[in-house]
Amino acid sequence: MSPLRDQAHPNPHGLEQLKGTTPQMVGRYPHYDVLTEVDHWDEVTRRVVLDRVERVPPIRFFAEAEARTLKAFCDIVTAQDEEPRIPVLSYIDEKLEHGVGDGWQHDDLPGDGDVWRMVARGLDDEAGGPYADASEDDRVRIVHRFSKAELRGGVWAELNVGRAWGVVMRYVVQAFYSHPWAWNEIGFGGPAYPRGYSAFGSPHLREREPWEGVESAHYDPVRDATKRRLD
Amino acid sequence: MSGLPAENDSALLLHPHKRGLQNLDRMAQYRDDDEVDLAVVGAGAGGSVLAQRLARRGWKVVVLEKGPFWDPDRDWVSDEKGAGQAGLYWTDNRIISGGDPIELGKNNSGVGVGGSMTHFAGYVPRLHPSDFEVRSRDGVAVDWPISYAELKPSFERIESELPVAGEFWPWGDPHGYPHKPHPVAGAALVAWEGARKQGIEMHVGPVAITNGRFGNRPHCIYRGFCLEGCKVNAKASPLVTHIPDAIEHGCEIRPDSFVTRVEIDNASGRARGVTYIRDGVERFQRASVVAVCGYAIETPRLLLNSVCRRHPNGLGNAADLVGRFVMVQGAPQVAGRFPELLRMYKAPPPEITSEQFYETDERRGFARGFAIQTISPLPIGWAEHVLAEGHWGQSLREYMRDYNHWSVLGILAEFLPLPENRVTLAHEKDAFGVPIAHFSYTQCDNDRAIVAYAKKLLEEIWHAAGAMDLLTIDRFAHLVGGARMGFSPDDSVVDSSHRVWGIDNLLVVDGSVMPTQGSANPALAIMALADRCARLM
Repeated sequence: MSPLRDQAHPNPHGLEQLKGTTPQMVGRYPHYDVLTEVDHWDEVTRRVVLDRVERVPPIRFFAEAEARTLKAFCDIVTAQDEEPRIPVLSYIDEKLEHGVGDGWQHDDLPGDGDVWRMVARGLDDEAGGPYADASEDDRVRIVHRFSKAELRGGVWAELNVGRAWGVVMRYVVQAFYSHPWAWNEIGFGGPAYPRGYSAFGSPHLREREPWEGVESAHYDPVRDATKRRLD
Repeated sequence: MSGLPAENDSALLLHPHKRGLQNLDRMAQYRDDDEVDLAVVGAGAGGSVLAQRLARRGWKVVVLEKGPFWDPDRDWVSDEKGAGQAGLYWTDNRIISGGDPIELGKNNSGVGVGGSMTHFAGYVPRLHPSDFEVRSRDGVAVDWPISYAELKPSFERIESELPVAGEFWPWGDPHGYPHKPHPVAGAALVAWEGARKQGIEMHVGPVAITNGRFGNRPHCIYRGFCLEGCKVNAKASPLVTHIPDAIEHGCEIRPDSFVTRVEIDNASGRARGVTYIRDGVERFQRASVVAVCGYAIETPRLLLNSVCRRHPNGLGNAADLVGRFVMVQGAPQVAGRFPELLRMYKAPPPEITSEQFYETDERRGFARGFAIQTISPLPIGWAEHVLAEGHWGQSLREYMRDYNHWSVLGILAEFLPLPENRVTLAHEKDAFGVPIAHFSYTQCDNDRAIVAYAKKLLEEIWHAAGAMDLLTIDRFAHLVGGARMGFSPDDSVVDSSHRVWGIDNLLVVDGSVMPTQGSANPALAIMALADRCARLM
């Protein structure tokens, strides 16, 4: 068992997805598949969301070696250690290739695309070779130091490391949590036009729409996360 | 439900089942060499209201808007990432710096007809009477050259046009709203319970979202995607509240038109029109009056870029005040975790508010105050929340799987206007060759004291409500200031009638004129200022 897997699921049976797809087939709503609801979505939204599943964009912005490094990085920061994986880097590459950022740039960072490329170089430097070839322990350790802005020297000396972490992670979570597989995992209702919602009143009545997922959790995840020192 | 407004037929000009505008085929078309009565730069909260009012009075008005003319059916999606891909946010690059650099884009900047209100949450509280005299009352910032009483009729008119839904409002100048309050969803109910236990009064609203049919605008369907552009036409934005009526009265909205300069006639010193770029071609629109309505970043950028012989430092900038005193509101959010499934993605993100801490209370150790509001981030927004506390990998995934158990309270803290918080022109240029904006921002001690106090208060609310775990994120919301309104050319960029000092026929009509901001979301105040300004013209 890999260290990442070990850290993740002492009891993976409680999180096994039984319907549709989730990343690593892990989820809190085992019988919920948002993609069975597509007929209730408006056509424009349906096209945008289904494209994410059905038409994964090819890597065009990053060079092959950069992509290999960054794909390994994205796997670590999203804890994707086996298939099915949300191809996070493909959507990030697509956005950078498109060239439209989020509307700002820190004065002590280059543009977002250059930040990503420098991060790729910095990760390889830290790993003393291709980051993707480092042991899982090393890959996790390097990311840990990146997240704490503790990487120094080389490429990292040219960046505000803490802000660079913020930039790349913003792209990562946008790519990951815009994917309907992630919505299955977390029980998000997804697009809601034109249907809307009607059952959103008292939490004590446990109101839900008939099509929304039923949660199945065998342990309290917050206490569990604390206990396992994930936070 | 109360009736439709007497002098704005926008809601009737929409189609009951299609969301796009229905009168575009009969929209006026002016030529560049027609001297229109008014050229408006920017079709947002300020520009749209100003254009609609004056078009109704028979003025020939052209509104030049950098972004597209939206059709919500065709262009907008029920999807967080898709809203950005659709182009709702101002994503042209801007440089940020300072001790507390402010992230821009989706958080506070819009583009396209309707401006950033197309993706605002919908909160439309009024400013309090005290907001207009904070120097006299509290010894901080500056007084406005106008009073609450002067703006009150404008607040009332705009509230009837949006229309606003909410409970009777006991704070500031107490008032009611034309539409009854919306139902409150589970995530906000737990927050409300915690607030009650802490002796904090909260009320439902005020939101610019229909609660019942309003002309041809339908009832809200509570799908929760207010920040992605309303596909229902239930949430107000100028696209549906003022632009249809403006067009019906002879106003031309010219989309995809980026104004690069206001041109000043060297002999007379008066504005003679605007230079703009459309389809890659530079053009010039003649106008008798020019109103700049580009908001707190683009308005200073345009004024600063419009250097000419008479104004070598930019328009209205003789006293070096253009771009200064830009304000954001402190908007930290504290989330609470509950055993029940709350599913905060349902219902509009804005639901209940408290303005109990809005006014100065010296015992708290700072001047001015804050408002408390519920906020309900969708998954990407929630992930940014989780990230901000340092979670990634399995920890991120675990907190995200827990999404449906969380509820989020935020505050809007009144940050004070400071001269160093300013927009300047960067060395970098955009695709049109115009220098991009550089926005530097740093909080002062009073700002930090408000935020610290308010975060602690939110934590106490959640503890009282029985939350099992908390997550806190520091963030900022809204942008105002940068071309402040004042008493003389030495203290401000525009006078109390929105005229740029020294250039009679150049106006600034947007949030950038606000000398202070209170703890209110700015959309309503911007529209009310535009309404008042139009009446003075």
